[in-house]
Amino acid sequence: MLISVEGLGYTYAPSTPLARTALRGVDLEIRQGERVGILGPTGSGKSTLAQLIAGLLRPTSGHVLLDGVAAHARTADARLRRLKVGMAFQYPEHQIFEQTVPREVAFGPRNLGLNDAEVEARVAWALDIVGLDPVEMADRVPLTLSGGEMRRLALAGILAMRPPVLILDEPTANLDPRGRQELLTRVLTWQAETELTLIVISHNLDDLARLAERVVLLVAGQVAADGPAREVLSDRPLLEDASFDVPPPVALLQALRQSGWAVATNRLLAEEAATEIAQVWSSTGGMV
Amino acid sequence: MSLLLPGMHVAGGTPLHRLDPRVKMGASLLLMVLPFVAPSLPSNLLLAGFVVALAILSAVPLMALVRTLRVVVWTGIFMFVFRLFTTPGTPLLTVGGISVTLQGLGAGAVQIYRLCLLVVVSSLLTYTTSPAQLAHGVEAVLEPLARLGLPVREFAMVLTIALRFVPTLFEEIEKIVKAQEARGALIRTGPLWKRVPGWVPVFVPLFVSAFRRAEDLATAMEARGFRSAHQRTHLYRLHLTRHDLAASLLILALGAVILFVEWRMG
Repeated sequence: MLISVEGLGYTYAPSTPLARTALRGVDLEIRQGERVGILGPTGSGKSTLAQLIAGLLRPTSGHVLLDGVAAHARTADARLRRLKVGMAFQYPEHQIFEQTVPREVAFGPRNLGLNDAEVEARVAWALDIVGLDPVEMADRVPLTLSGGEMRRLALAGILAMRPPVLILDEPTANLDPRGRQELLTRVLTWQAETELTLIVISHNLDDLARLAERVVLLVAGQVAADGPAREVLSDRPLLEDASFDVPPPVALLQALRQSGWAVATNRLLAEEAATEIAQVWSSTGGMV
Repeated sequence: MSLLLPGMHVAGGTPLHRLDPRVKMGASLLLMVLPFVAPSLPSNLLLAGFVVALAILSAVPLMALVRTLRVVVWTGIFMFVFRLFTTPGTPLLTVGGISVTLQGLGAGAVQIYRLCLLVVVSSLLTYTTSPAQLAHGVEAVLEPLARLGLPVREFAMVLTIALRFVPTLFEEIEKIVKAQEARGALIRTGPLWKRVPGWVPVFVPLFVSAFRRAEDLATAMEARGFRSAHQRTHLYRLHLTRHDLAASLLILALGAVILFVEWRMG
């Protein structure tokens, strides 16, 4: 599905004393299979943009088109397209309401009007993807799960709808390092297998370095940068203007470069940085 | 949320904002009672004019204020229709033994006017008075009852907390509605018979989170030494100023004038 955002603006509580403009003049185009990170400081409009893309808010100006149809429109056609956009809000576990784990996951697929056999298959499949054992979880009450398990359950509920577009809003907030690592790996594997469009909202540069190939930087409701992750996330002046630091591997490479090593500085992950340093080291024989 | 709901507070520095909460509460009560005791047209014109003047003084955009009336549209229609058909008098139109009367039309209109006044006055009170001030005012007004052993301070605390969490709960509902709609639930759209059960996935998480909030709040309050039986002092104390006195006199004068008009008109 092609997502086109044109001249998008959004104001909360317009024409009241509490009016607040969250987005203005945002233009974006996201193609099927892209992995896009949306980065920005708190209050920069990231979550608002995500909700507009999912058709959950009506734009104040401009529009969001899903394959050419306005995302928020009240037509059956638009609803069908909206259902192709899976949206995991911040703390998605706060939306859990069912009495058992499988019923919670089945809520979305049932709303799609699938038959029982298909729903059951999707529940098992989605639980497996997020690393919950469908057999063990068959009778579990969601509220008795641990925080990390509840997060994964909520994600399973969204994945079970098999949306071709998945929006994750701060997916790793409040997860421990292992839970975070596991979640990122699973999402990436699934993305690669299904040509999923992945939109990740975060102010965690490390998450974005892992998940995104393209990064859109939002500052005060406007697009401040839009380009390959390696370029945007290694642009120190740009990031510092938006009150971010470059990711640690980039900081290390930049420091090395300053002291005379001819290393490339746009390696975002620790493993990539290590490879880069090793290559330069062996090519120079350890001499600067 | 695109509309300003009754109960929301809009911080500001207008004379209305600075008034003592006790004066504002007393005045609001009077303004809400007067249309019921004074049925004549001149006194109600005076009353409506006074409320409009207050609304202008409060610096709340008038359109936003008018839009808050949306919350009572259905109540208003129901009351209007009820009055329309149940008031005896000159029949205008008779359908199947039930007749609409001229008097019914008038009585229905009066009901709507009273309802609007009620909403506007109470909205003005909450727009210009922070929840904390409001609770403080209630506590001060009920203070004499504390001597009879009634838990007035606890009541004021409960009120403060309840008022504080109204906007939070609205935000929470909004968030959960969106999350479930993203999962294909029909809540704000779709046929009515599908919409009503659609609220179950909203209210269950809402209650779960309300209980979680309550627990967190209780812990936070106890961590800061809150004990319900203890005598607590206020950070800000209420003082009646000359402005409060002037406002009280003004509102009492309005009441007196209206009662005088009613008395003269018999």
